[in-house]
Amino acid sequence: MKNLSTILATLVLVFAFMNSASAEDWKVSATAKKKLNPYELSKKNISTGKKVYQTNCKSCHGDPTKANMLPLVPAPADLGSQNFLVQSDGEIYHKVKVGKGAMPTFEKTLNDESKWMVIAYLRSFDKNKKKAVVTKAVVNPEVSDVKIELDIDSEHKKLKAHLTGLKKDGKRAGLEGIELSFLIKRAFGQLDISGEEAYTDAKGELLIQFPTDLPGDREGQVDLTIKITDEDEYGVIEEKRVLSIAVPTNPKNPLDERAMWGTRANAPIWIIASYLLGVIGIWSVIFLVLFQVFQLSKMRTKS
Amino acid sequence: MNDDTKSKETTLSFEKIKQDVLRPMQNHRGLELWIVFLITVISVGAWAYYVQLRDGLGVTGMRDYVSWGLYIANFVFFVAVSLVGMLISSILGLLKVDWIAPISRIAEIIAVAFVAVAGLVIVLDMGRPDRVLNVMIHGRFQSPILWDVTVITTYLVISALLLILPMIPDLAICKKEIKTAPPMLKKLYAILSFGYTNTPEQHKHLHKMIRTLMVLIVPVGLAIHTVTSWLFAATLRNGWDTTIFGPYFVAGAFVAGSAALIIAMYFFRVNYKLQDYITELHFDKMGKLMVAVCLVYLYFNVNEFLVPGYKMKSGDSVHLKELFFGSWAIMFWSSQLLGNILPIILMVNKRFRMPKPIMIISIFVLASAWFKRYVIVIPTMLHPHLPIQNVPDNYQHYFPSSVEITVTVLSFALALLIITVLAKIFPVVPICEIADQKGIDYKIEE
Repeated sequence: MKNLSTILATLVLVFAFMNSASAEDWKVSATAKKKLNPYELSKKNISTGKKVYQTNCKSCHGDPTKANMLPLVPAPADLGSQNFLVQSDGEIYHKVKVGKGAMPTFEKTLNDESKWMVIAYLRSFDKNKKKAVVTKAVVNPEVSDVKIELDIDSEHKKLKAHLTGLKKDGKRAGLEGIELSFLIKRAFGQLDISGEEAYTDAKGELLIQFPTDLPGDREGQVDLTIKITDEDEYGVIEEKRVLSIAVPTNPKNPLDERAMWGTRANAPIWIIASYLLGVIGIWSVIFLVLFQVFQLSKMRTKS
Repeated sequence: MNDDTKSKETTLSFEKIKQDVLRPMQNHRGLELWIVFLITVISVGAWAYYVQLRDGLGVTGMRDYVSWGLYIANFVFFVAVSLVGMLISSILGLLKVDWIAPISRIAEIIAVAFVAVAGLVIVLDMGRPDRVLNVMIHGRFQSPILWDVTVITTYLVISALLLILPMIPDLAICKKEIKTAPPMLKKLYAILSFGYTNTPEQHKHLHKMIRTLMVLIVPVGLAIHTVTSWLFAATLRNGWDTTIFGPYFVAGAFVAGSAALIIAMYFFRVNYKLQDYITELHFDKMGKLMVAVCLVYLYFNVNEFLVPGYKMKSGDSVHLKELFFGSWAIMFWSSQLLGNILPIILMVNKRFRMPKPIMIISIFVLASAWFKRYVIVIPTMLHPHLPIQNVPDNYQHYFPSSVEITVTVLSFALALLIITVLAKIFPVVPICEIADQKGIDYKIEE
């Protein structure tokens, strides 16, 4: 009996604790907490995570470590602060996934990879883990008038970008180790064809293989935007081009054929024929009857 | 009004028929007051329509979701009622059902008045009526709208011809007999009688034309209401996306049209003192016809609601639950019970097919028919496939505004005015046809 009452008391305490925890805080199960980020903290992954962060998280949480979040109640956490980053990868993942209150769920909006990339990005602010990030210390000279030049090798479908800036001595110098994004305009957004590790080399150059099977318009044209992925250092630097190296396509306009959904001029023949035959048929009988009515008075004179 | 003059077995002579039918056309008592009343109502409606023209369709209750409101429901009702012309004078006429002779002209008058106003109601529903001709200029053959405009115009013309042609012999009599008629009207009689003197040749010729039109109006009449139903059925909306909508509408139209005819018959019988012509037999026969068309309509209703109700596809289920138990339940069930089931039960009894009871039943049937159209049009518009989101509150509900209701009242007043005027200048009961039927010889002098 004594044992039983101890167990009961413990259970009550446990439930009470769990209750208060769930009422005030996120409820993250132990298994969820144990999850680890399957993606390494490579520069590429962090940069991808940053892109995801800027489109999905920044509007409320502001920039990590800058504490410029939206003034909401409760305030969105500064996701770069050490207070936040003491949590395990699994804990952060769970919170992004399920959401709570004003924090929306990203279960369907972001795929798993993107969620982990964001966590990789946030982890890059973690003072305890920063060592893990392999970064090549590159020091570029202080420059102004940064621009991207593009060479197109149409034969091999290769794109060569050249990123330069104007040094203080008036000479142009290539900028090294800067990530560039090559974006192709598609119907509902932009396709990133940069590939892995799209960083400029020592001369500020980056060679990209344009996909050989990418469809373009009738002339094989696509709209390309090249930009510096991270806008923090040099601001928005981008270059737009129309490329004629995509695969020409011949899209079929469904409005060109005769169909029920077509314009008046493209109505199916059978429906035009039915309409006209019906109208002509019925109205000719009407006019015939009208004509015959006027014959009545002639019959009077004859009789 | 009272209906105490019992129809006796009177021996009808041609003179008596002529006098009985032509008397109400010359005797005005109370008519001016009725016309003044109708014109007053129409003037108020016209003012409401002016407000709508000036300020746009925003003055109605219609918004983005419910873009077909009271006007379209009313349009369907008017088209439905007008179908009685085809049912009575054409289908029954071709089947050589002879008791329809005295009431066929009333049926045609109703048909002409209601189909003419139906066309007008569509124009009243337009935000930019000045663009109405664009339907003809730019209309797509694939769209039921172009077909609808075409068949309504055609039905109006054929109905008008079916009103005038059988009336030619009577108008020849009017030309001669009604001496007090104003000169304009005399001229109209002279033109529309086409020099008819009832020679055997003329008689044969005229009836051949009438029969041609009777045949012609059957497909056009079916088309007018089938195409109107396709305006709905050609969409993928819950409640409209059904294959039986054409015959369902036609059956409903026969019910509404018969009810309107019975009411009109009663009023002409009593006011025009036509008890010798529109007899209890006619009400009895119309009652039986009404039971028949109500049963057909009931059959279609069972199909229309039981089959989707059995499967309850998610979209249909929202729609049907709103109709059966939700905010439309009262309107839905009262239109089904008062407009269909109860009239069938009552009218199988001979007692309820007497003139007065059947007229009262018909008023219920006609009113229910109107509400039935309202229930067909509006609930579906309120249940789109995509959820209604981020819109002002008044987009999510629909109730007709006072402007809309006033304009709708105008349409009824206008239809009644057309019927009143037609029944005033034309004999409502065919004189010569009755004489023909009774074997009475007559002569029409020029």
